[in-house]
Amino acid sequence: MTWRNVWAVIRREYIQRVRSKAFVISTVSVPLFMGAAFLLPMFFANRSEQRERRIAIVDETGVLQARLAPRLLSSGWTVSAAPAGGDQAALRGRVAAGEIGGFVVLDERTLATGEVTLYAEDDPSPFDRLTLRTAVARAAMEEGLERSGLDADAMLDGGELRIELLADAETSARNPDFWVAYIGGFILYMVILMYAVAVMRATLEEKTSRIVEVIVSSMKPWHLMLGKILGVGAVSLTQLSIWILTGMVLGTSGLPAMLAANPQMTDLAQIREGLPGLGFLALFLAFFLLGFFMYSGLYACVGAMCNTHEEAQQAQAPLVIFLVGPILLLIPVIQSPASTMATSLSLFPLFSPILMWARVAGGGAPAWQVALSLLLMTLSVVAIAWVAGRIYSVGILMTGKRPTLPELWRWVKEA
Amino acid sequence: MISPAGPAVRLERVTKRFGNRNAVSDLTLEVPRGVICGLLGPNGSGKTTTIRMIVGILRPDEGTVSLFGGDPSTTRRTKIGYLPEERGVYKKMRCLEFITFLAEIRGLPRPEGRRRGLAWLERLGLGDWADKKVEDLSKGMQQKVQFAGTVIHEPELLILDEPFSGLDPINQDVLEAIVLDLKASGTTILLSTHLMDQAERLCERVCLISRARKVLDGDLRQLKAAEWKGVVALEFVGSDRWVDGPEIAHAERVNGGLHLVLHDGADHQAILRRGVQAGAEILRFELVEPRLHEIFIRHAGGDGDDDGTGARA
Repeated sequence: MTWRNVWAVIRREYIQRVRSKAFVISTVSVPLFMGAAFLLPMFFANRSEQRERRIAIVDETGVLQARLAPRLLSSGWTVSAAPAGGDQAALRGRVAAGEIGGFVVLDERTLATGEVTLYAEDDPSPFDRLTLRTAVARAAMEEGLERSGLDADAMLDGGELRIELLADAETSARNPDFWVAYIGGFILYMVILMYAVAVMRATLEEKTSRIVEVIVSSMKPWHLMLGKILGVGAVSLTQLSIWILTGMVLGTSGLPAMLAANPQMTDLAQIREGLPGLGFLALFLAFFLLGFFMYSGLYACVGAMCNTHEEAQQAQAPLVIFLVGPILLLIPVIQSPASTMATSLSLFPLFSPILMWARVAGGGAPAWQVALSLLLMTLSVVAIAWVAGRIYSVGILMTGKRPTLPELWRWVKEA
Repeated sequence: MISPAGPAVRLERVTKRFGNRNAVSDLTLEVPRGVICGLLGPNGSGKTTTIRMIVGILRPDEGTVSLFGGDPSTTRRTKIGYLPEERGVYKKMRCLEFITFLAEIRGLPRPEGRRRGLAWLERLGLGDWADKKVEDLSKGMQQKVQFAGTVIHEPELLILDEPFSGLDPINQDVLEAIVLDLKASGTTILLSTHLMDQAERLCERVCLISRARKVLDGDLRQLKAAEWKGVVALEFVGSDRWVDGPEIAHAERVNGGLHLVLHDGADHQAILRRGVQAGAEILRFELVEPRLHEIFIRHAGGDGDDDGTGARA
């Protein structure tokens, strides 16, 4: 009986939102954007057949050609060997005829300093300059290192740091993954803020349109708030699921297909390896939901306290600080995830969704700390619901001046 | 728990303050079951605050409110239908959906809410608008949709705060007829209005409040009988300079003549004598049944306001 009206509120909120244009547009545009991020490079890759990237290599050293050619090929260039010591007139003629975009001459100086000259009709793009220069320098370094008996591949990959943990065996053994931690934290910040603000706006609208008076004469304000938050929460899960599924489809099938078509884009394969698994996804959603419940309760309060959007903008400022704070702390926490400061900050419930996520994804949080933060956040959700529910119940029917802090406290006590 | 004979609404010595201003002072009021009771008074006199306490949105600072013998803030909410004065709607919802939602939060199953909602829309002449968004309707139509949402769950107590304001005369008549119908089927109706004439047509009981205090309440017919000799209908030819005197609290032109509202216990014969002395040609001098408006003026000291132009207190 009691729950039927909460259910009615959830249902109304969900259906109205999912059916709205704003929802459809935002739901579709994010995957479109992701798709475009993948497709645009493909589009440009196809255009790389252009003349500027067709070059001839004149190898005076006799050793660099074999190292340079595959490297350039994999970056989307077309190369052909030209006889060394020959006269360049023939090559110049081929350039003038538009057969090739230009030619490079590799000599002893190239071997010693990585310096090389490109003879070309047109000025190459900065990107082409960079790939050419890097490829030549790398080829020269490889040659030099191998001549002195070193493993050029290993050295040029930047060596490797192996880590053997002596204590604290619980720490997740995953390699620290900066980007998953950083981007994940950022996404958490954005979606929690976005949906919590949606709750605030909905509350404010119900208050200013006075519809709340009718509803509250039929159900407890606290039930209305609960229904509202759960309804928006359901919408957010729907939207996030769509985004995540599209992302996974793009990541698992789209990406390999694209790599097969464009072998020069092998770097992207690394992105795929970095994508989080299902367990991580579940943890991500748990952090999101707990964060959303905490913040939406607080934002519902702000909506109930205020009478205009301008007022609400001001009143939400303290809450935004709690959301932005972790973003500012994100990089230091990812960099030293096991420090006392990172540990204590990430256990503070209002910071946990973002900072604990960053530590987990960054590989620096023991399982018991993750469990503790989940527990603390759950307790905070209950506590916030209790306090916020009271402020909401009084505020939603109150018009006039925004309450001061002592007044808010009185509402909590009296409600 | 509920005694069938007990009143639908009972307020006992209720006071509500906002800051240091009394919105309602020491108000005692009973609404028996099955009647239409008018809650009357000028704007700002405390009608809406009283109603909000009855529906459990506000709590009195002093005194008690009971609905069907129980506390309004607990389980009785589904027995009430409340149409607030400031009308809020979900603008983006379709009319029928909106009404169904209101039915649902009062505990009605969805299909039943839909069925009744459609029937009400038909009855109010909005059958074709069921699937239109509320924001596409005119203000008056929105008001009817809201009314349908208020009565959808067949409440035992219907509380209407200025239900007729903003409606054209035709729709006012439609709504009046529906209100009388609901009353005939046993619904108790508490009607707040500042339109005295309308209250006079609809209500069996009235409660007059002014400046946060109750001025008078009871059965309308009995009140009128008690006020007999309080109002004189006067028609005459010539100057009206002789009419005014200490007996008269208020004078008003009605149908070409004057209605004089007298102070309590004033001698109406004194007026007649003054007229004779002044040599006026008096065509009619009659003690008439007072109108509600006139009763109000006699008791509230002349600040009655039945055209809605009065300033908020």
